[in-house]
Amino acid sequence: MTARGDRILGIGLFVLAIVYGWTAQQWPEPFGAAEGIGPETFPTLLAVVLALSSGYLIVRPDPDAQWPRGRTAVEILLSIAILVVYSLLLEPLGFVIATTLAVGTLCWLMGARPVPAFLTGLIGAVVVFFLFNNLLALSLPAGLLGMV
Amino acid sequence: METIQLLMHGFAVAMTPTNLMFALFGAFIGTLIGALPGLGPANGVAILIPLAFTLGLSPETAMILLTSVYAGAMYGGRISSILLNIPGDEPAMMTCLDGYPMAQNGKAAEALGMSAIACFAGTLIGTVGLIMLAPVLARFALTFGPAEYFALFVLAFATLGGIAGKNPVKTVVAAALGLMISTVGIDIATGTERYTFGLLKLHEGVDFILAIVGLFAISELLFFIEQRAGAGRKMVRLGKLMLRPRDVFSALPTLFRGGILGFFAGVLPGAGASLGSFISYTLEKKYLGKRASFGEGDLRGVAAPEAGNNGASSGALVPMLTLGVPGSGTTAVLLAMLISLDITPGPLMFTQNAEIVWGVIAALLIGNALLLLLNIPLVGLFVKLLSVPPMYLLPVVTMVAFVGIYSISHSPFDLYMMVAFGVAGFVLRKLEIPLVPIILGLLLGPEMEKNLSHALVLSDGDWSILWSSPLAIGFWVVAGLGLVLPYVIGPVLRRRVRKTMEETSASTN
Repeated sequence: MTARGDRILGIGLFVLAIVYGWTAQQWPEPFGAAEGIGPETFPTLLAVVLALSSGYLIVRPDPDAQWPRGRTAVEILLSIAILVVYSLLLEPLGFVIATTLAVGTLCWLMGARPVPAFLTGLIGAVVVFFLFNNLLALSLPAGLLGMV
Repeated sequence: METIQLLMHGFAVAMTPTNLMFALFGAFIGTLIGALPGLGPANGVAILIPLAFTLGLSPETAMILLTSVYAGAMYGGRISSILLNIPGDEPAMMTCLDGYPMAQNGKAAEALGMSAIACFAGTLIGTVGLIMLAPVLARFALTFGPAEYFALFVLAFATLGGIAGKNPVKTVVAAALGLMISTVGIDIATGTERYTFGLLKLHEGVDFILAIVGLFAISELLFFIEQRAGAGRKMVRLGKLMLRPRDVFSALPTLFRGGILGFFAGVLPGAGASLGSFISYTLEKKYLGKRASFGEGDLRGVAAPEAGNNGASSGALVPMLTLGVPGSGTTAVLLAMLISLDITPGPLMFTQNAEIVWGVIAALLIGNALLLLLNIPLVGLFVKLLSVPPMYLLPVVTMVAFVGIYSISHSPFDLYMMVAFGVAGFVLRKLEIPLVPIILGLLLGPEMEKNLSHALVLSDGDWSILWSSPLAIGFWVVAGLGLVLPYVIGPVLRRRVRKTMEETSASTN
């Protein structure tokens, strides 16, 4: 029974609490500040609460969860990468192409066969695109398709 | 008398064709979301919030849409419990106990029919309770000063983990994190730039809608990839619906008791729907004793938890609407919607935004009737949709979340933030840090800071004002209990739930 997860989190949060609380002390006193409370009061209070509670996690951590390993870990990292790349390409490639690629790859990653996976992506993308741009008059980027 | 007049006015708001249409749409989508395993009411409402924004709905319509989704998701949760023995969310767990055996005995249609009626009864009782209790509580809350509010917010966080919560320290950690995120941006009172790292995008703070969608929806996708629930599941055949009026009548007292118990469980801070369905089931089992065969597929064993569950979900709206303090994850998400609509929930809402409050309450009653009508004939359709493999479904749901967030601000930066929140949500859920206090912290942070500073200004900087009135002291005591009780009662309660589950399933096998 290891408890590394909680310990690492506890240490991370403790450091965060120190940095967060210390930052708050650096702000200049605002002109005409009310008695006893400034922009740093509430953050300082929070820093203390977080420091105490994360300290507790370090001292008395819960048993560890099962973390994804090997293939599953790779798949999770891959899907996070897909989401980031999707956000990045949404405007330059346009909604339909970017979505087809992103949804298709995600379905495929989850175990769907490639053809139905990308077909799901394409149909979903086209339906949502027309729904938003034509029916609801909200503009999603057309991207490459707009130039055709 | 005044209440009835206001309610009538609420009906007038809710009955406009647009609002009725959105109520129907919300009820349908909600049932669908609730029925799909892996998507609970909180995720469902979270994903639809951006949509409500981008559609530019009026505050009444937006709230009516989301409350219908909420009610619908509570209805839908029972479908996968009964047919697949997979509870869509925690409160639906107790419904598996008798629902699944009924389905195995070829009585799936009866179980679905009875549970739909139980949902209706539970919501109806809960809403009536809401109508009676909410105005009283709102009037009482008008006497609160800033110190009382500050203590009340602390109480909300302390009890959020619920008495069955595992590690209260983790609730505190989560609340502190959420509150810290809420301090990002320009301080309204002094104009100081706080934690913006010089990024212009952060001047207005972190938009809690993208935080919510990221934490709930994106982390769900990552969880699914980890677990690989695989393709569609084998479905129990739906027989013809053979629900005799006599059966329904014999379950009426059960429905009544379950609904009332559930309502009170919902009103209590932190107790929520899980406790609602649990106590309705166990007390009904105890009360009926040998006159019922709970666990072997008794109709009343489906009726009790569903009535309790839905009574609780309406009850949870009481503190949310009157105090601005949500009792559950989903009501926290609804609160987010209200705040983004520039409506401050709390006692003043009952006077300043009466048409919204009463419109929502009326919509809850109308939506409930619509849901009953939808659920009995259309249950076959929902059952068919359950067989859509999640490997196609979840990516599409994720895309909808992206579209929603993107169309609010047209900013890829927001999408990166959402993904970041999703990853953080995954890691935190793995470490059993609850997400709801984070959301609540984000939402309540500004109000909490404002009340703290008002209180300190009133007292010339004397902190003891925070615990100087009997009411405030009362709140602090309850908050303290909320943090200590899980250590004492939590393990006992969890053992009880497990024992009941084991006993009931042992008697079937």
